[in-house]
Amino acid sequence: MIPDSSAADRVIRRGRLLTVVGLVLLAGIYLLAFQFTPAERGQGLAFKILYVHAPAAWAAETAFVLVGLVGILYFWLKDERLDVFAEASAEVGMVFATVILTTGPIWGRTIWGHYWAWDPRLTFTLLLYVLFAGYFALRSAIRDPAERARFAAVLGIMGMLLVPFIHLTVYLFRSQHPMPVLGRPPCPLENPDCAPSLPWVLLRPLLASFVVFTLLYVGFVTIRYGIGLRRAAQEGSDA
Amino acid sequence: MPDNANYMIAAYIVVTIIILGYTISLWKRSGKR
Repeated sequence: MIPDSSAADRVIRRGRLLTVVGLVLLAGIYLLAFQFTPAERGQGLAFKILYVHAPAAWAAETAFVLVGLVGILYFWLKDERLDVFAEASAEVGMVFATVILTTGPIWGRTIWGHYWAWDPRLTFTLLLYVLFAGYFALRSAIRDPAERARFAAVLGIMGMLLVPFIHLTVYLFRSQHPMPVLGRPPCPLENPDCAPSLPWVLLRPLLASFVVFTLLYVGFVTIRYGIGLRRAAQEGSDA
Repeated sequence: MPDNANYMIAAYIVVTIIILGYTISLWKRSGKR
């Protein structure tokens, strides 16, 4: 079920193209954020950290949810390519999770006065990061590909279940993490003031950044998937 | 308005290092046979 290495090369070439486009657009986001977006009145220039922090969170959570969904599919279809994709998505998710866990504390230092708080959202995000670090430790500890894929799929599904919980932590617990600007539940009629509060000039770079980070995720995961396919094809021909 | 431009610059430098670092890593790994 693993294609030959020339098919993997084609996947890699496609991924490289998407990544280059994503990187050029990321430079455009930097330009838009620095040059064409004013500072927010309450938070100053540190507010612009949101333009890389929130889209990175979106990309990481998408990556981890896909690891879980593909894990479920693996139990059903037993296709080795699904395991290759799950590994690729988990690795790329870890990269974006590193962005969240570094930019968040930098923002926290200037707005909260401290780098870290054991706030539910921060704590569960760190837990998700550790869980996926464990995912790679588990993968490297098992030799048999089928067993490795099965065990990793179970851990990936557990990680996926954590993602919606992390999203809801700001509603379920008393949290000092800011409430989301996008994707909030609808406002009750008696409190119309809870609608998204960002003016268009501050919202525009955020929306554009979500698109660019999604593209970067697709580019990265495509290259990484191609690398995984090529490795699996070589292992298959060696065996 | 707080004067915190250095925090913004630090965050963007960190993001650039992570994203470019990972891109270079993927590029090198995808070139090996």
